[in-house]
Amino acid sequence: MSSTKEKLIAHVSKEEPAGPTNKVTVVGVGMVGMAAAVSILLKDLTDELALVDVMEDKLKGEVMDLQHGSLFLKTHKIVADKDYSVTANSKVVVVTAGARQQEGESRLNLVQRNVNIFKFIIPNIIKYSPNCILLVVSNPVDILTYVAWKLSGLPRNRVIGSGTNLDSARFRHLMGEKLGIHPSSCHAWVIGEHGDSSVPVWSGVNVAGVSLQGLNPDMGTDNDKEDWKSVHKMVVDSAYEVIKLKGYTSWAIGMSVADLCESILKNLRKCHPVSTLVKGMHGVNEEVFLSVPCILGNTGLTDVVHMTLKPDEEKQLVKSAETLWGVQKELTL
Amino acid sequence: MKRPDVQWITVTSSSLSLPEAGTRDGSLIHCSAPYSRQQQPAMLVSCWCLYLGAQRLYRHVLSMASVVQKLITPLFSGTLEPPRNKVTVVGVGQVGMACAVSVLLRDLADELALVDVVEDKLKGEMMDLQHGSLFLKTPKIVSGKDYSVTANSRVVVVTAGVRQQEGESRLNLVQRNVNIFKHIIPQIVRYSPNCILIVVSNPVDVLTYVTWKLSGLPKHRVIGSGTNLDSARFRYLMAERMGIHPSSFNGWILGEHGDSSVPVWSGANVAGVSLQKLNPDIGKDTDKENWKETHKKVVDSAYEVIRLKGYTNWAIGLSVADLTESLMKNLNRVHPVSTMVKGMYGIGDEVYLSLPCVLNSAGVGSVVNMTLTGDEISQLKKSADMLWHIQKDLKDL
Repeated sequence: MSSTKEKLIAHVSKEEPAGPTNKVTVVGVGMVGMAAAVSILLKDLTDELALVDVMEDKLKGEVMDLQHGSLFLKTHKIVADKDYSVTANSKVVVVTAGARQQEGESRLNLVQRNVNIFKFIIPNIIKYSPNCILLVVSNPVDILTYVAWKLSGLPRNRVIGSGTNLDSARFRHLMGEKLGIHPSSCHAWVIGEHGDSSVPVWSGVNVAGVSLQGLNPDMGTDNDKEDWKSVHKMVVDSAYEVIKLKGYTSWAIGMSVADLCESILKNLRKCHPVSTLVKGMHGVNEEVFLSVPCILGNTGLTDVVHMTLKPDEEKQLVKSAETLWGVQKELTL
Repeated sequence: MKRPDVQWITVTSSSLSLPEAGTRDGSLIHCSAPYSRQQQPAMLVSCWCLYLGAQRLYRHVLSMASVVQKLITPLFSGTLEPPRNKVTVVGVGQVGMACAVSVLLRDLADELALVDVVEDKLKGEMMDLQHGSLFLKTPKIVSGKDYSVTANSRVVVVTAGVRQQEGESRLNLVQRNVNIFKHIIPQIVRYSPNCILIVVSNPVDVLTYVTWKLSGLPKHRVIGSGTNLDSARFRYLMAERMGIHPSSFNGWILGEHGDSSVPVWSGANVAGVSLQKLNPDIGKDTDKENWKETHKKVVDSAYEVIRLKGYTNWAIGLSVADLTESLMKNLNRVHPVSTMVKGMYGIGDEVYLSLPCVLNSAGVGSVVNMTLTGDEISQLKKSADMLWHIQKDLKDL
């Protein structure tokens, strides 16, 4: 007695179906992890998505909810487990796990809590996906990207921090509002530390190649009548403000992660401001990760664009590096 | 006629790159009447002084003009056109935000408005979405407690209301949500009298009826998300058993969204091959393969996900975006959504139940007449009776 399926479908291929070609794992199914997962799914970036977390019920609920939307998606396999074996053969692993900033808490305060979590997570990821590219999102992202790099043993091109990709996106949004232009046509780079001491590179701010600082030499200074400096301040304050209003931020970071994943998975070689090892650049002598414009492709972060920075901009980077190193050297890895 | 012994010095505003301010006729600054050769040096000096003065004026004006004015020359300064593809989401809870993000990531709208009563949460959600605008193609995202932000919407998605508690049936939510709708619906219609309303809040069939009554809109412009999600879940689970993609498995769940939804087994097919013809017992208790279990899993899905993570949102958000796409793009696709079924299948009451509806830019363009078995029709009628039983006691509609 053959089953309905056997009567309906005749299997003709002798080959086993090939494994995933573009698998993405998201570690941590909190608000940020799920926002990243949904953004990746809705952009059709992957043929398999794996979710991992320690909270089993929440994890199962989230994966079921996503699977129920399969009809509307083009990602055929969505899996989840507490055990990292589900993450095997991932091309990109997005790490969002960790404690989140409380209202008013700075990112640096989270460090030790999150380092301990990483000591468990990172080796497990590498065990099942030794050739993956790690994309670290958890805060403080620059320090945790360093931690992930050390714990994973991966070469530096395979460990990327989401860094100031989001800060730059926020800046470009605010710039777009000020000029009445879509953010994608407003070019600006915010580099350095993701957080309070990020550096807006005013000389690079342009629309259609027209340097705004050329039109307004006071841009970014305290003398500026148009107060562009407050645009950068709003970027720095954004996260705290959104956390104050809704408890956490999720959508923007989720979309920015999907943007980075797209460049990696499709080998676009697009330039993004992400966190990478900057020792030897811009006067930084410590082994720290800071955001600079990087080229992303399917082997990860292959090249860094060398920006021409003003002396005080470089000084800020050096200062951030020193602060980060001050925290990093106290960590037990 | 130009005299050869005269030097004309013309200085145009364009050569000075002066903005509109500064020049009277906007084109030329002439040195005045021709001077004789003897007076040329004096004339040159005065023209040079004029040039220097103009340069000072230019620098002064430049320092006054903002970066925007220097960067951009406006060509059109009429009033901006109203949005053509505006979507409003009422309620910024988990479901509302999942709908909003799905609509944004599918590039369906040129403007998105969010409304809620909790102002901080509302502002926070709007800001979070706006911060992602670099990655989106929806240039305007607005929010407010006041419904004026929703003006000129084409589609309004209503997710406001209280959610099912663990173990609570959808029907228990009714009166709590009716009172909320009495405030929401008239305001929506006031600002977007030509919109199409998609009701998502549960119990969706009753609340779609309530919305229809409160809005005064014609029935084809009020849709309930209905069994669109149940059918999506059904197709996913059935397709998993078959080893194929859900979109290649065709199956319809109709009727009430919830415990008494009706799986139309006669319609279940892959590539036009009816499963019921291959297995006449399909869906019955006698079925050795127990396909009925799959429908039961669909009904239990919502409760299961709520038990595990506290609520459901991603799947319903994606399904609402799917409906919105058909409406916005005038696709005439068929979806199982909740519509007014009085007069069909022997139903005499004004109730909303899910049937296969053709959705286009007018709303429900038409309804597909599914051939249902006697048993399936009686299930629909039973649902209709139950819904009417609740609806008739609702006050102030």
